[in-house]
Amino acid sequence: MDEFQTGEETAFVVDEVSTIIKESVEGAIGGNAYQHSRVNQWTTNVVEQSLSQLSKLGKPFKYIVTCVIMQKNGAGLQTASSCFWDNTTDGSCTVRWENKSMYCIVSVFGLAI
Amino acid sequence: MSDLAKEKAARLLKKRGSVSSLGSHDVRAKETGGKIKDSISTVSYIDEPGHHDDNPRPAVQMENTFQLAPHRRFPVLTVNDILKDVLASYLQEEKYEAELCRQMTKTISEVIKARVKDLMVPRYKIIVLISIGQLSDQNMRIGSRCLWDSSNDTFSSHSFKNSSLFAVANVYAVYFE
Repeated sequence: MDEFQTGEETAFVVDEVSTIIKESVEGAIGGNAYQHSRVNQWTTNVVEQSLSQLSKLGKPFKYIVTCVIMQKNGAGLQTASSCFWDNTTDGSCTVRWENKSMYCIVSVFGLAI
Repeated sequence: MSDLAKEKAARLLKKRGSVSSLGSHDVRAKETGGKIKDSISTVSYIDEPGHHDDNPRPAVQMENTFQLAPHRRFPVLTVNDILKDVLASYLQEEKYEAELCRQMTKTISEVIKARVKDLMVPRYKIIVLISIGQLSDQNMRIGSRCLWDSSNDTFSSHSFKNSSLFAVANVYAVYFE
């Protein structure tokens, strides 16, 4: 217990995570318009890319990454989450990204080991 | 011991300060590269990490348990029944309406979290994620992937649909080692 690592090195840094998410989304979807046949591929890419970048941070976390891609046609969508965890170590970050034809919502939850 | 507590308090304070200066709902247009200017992104996260930060509890020194695996695994089927039950009972009669659904997502996620907590499965952290959307011929895909210990950590998912809305509930249970 005395060997507690503290500080930035092992904390869930929202800025860092949100940058990773945005880069993954830009990388996977970029300037593309909504195409039904490619959505499957895009969600997979976004999630996979984010997760692999997160794991490269080398922090003692378990990660849960979810990605929602929805076509824009005026339909509404609400999401909410609630968590039972250790507030001091665990964290979450959600990025909502949109372009002209679709919404992409990516949530990352980091749970300290 | 007191040093440890002090250090923790200082850390929390620092964390809080840096978080609040950022604000919780940053909306800023993304202007990277120049080629993709028509996309916008928004970041949101927990702004206030818990109210007990005001008087940080002294770090409790726990004895080692030397326990490697959960005594009781997370009951996925029971949780699935809870999801079915809660989603059906709250949304069966509802029509899609933005404000109502905004409240509803929060209520339902809290209710599900409470019901899963009531199962009293020790050493599991719980994450409940709810999406409610309008049905209007749009296409949508939800995907998730986790970096965790698949032998102990698990999830449960259920989707619900009536004539005007759909809802997807995911519960992730992560074993705290």
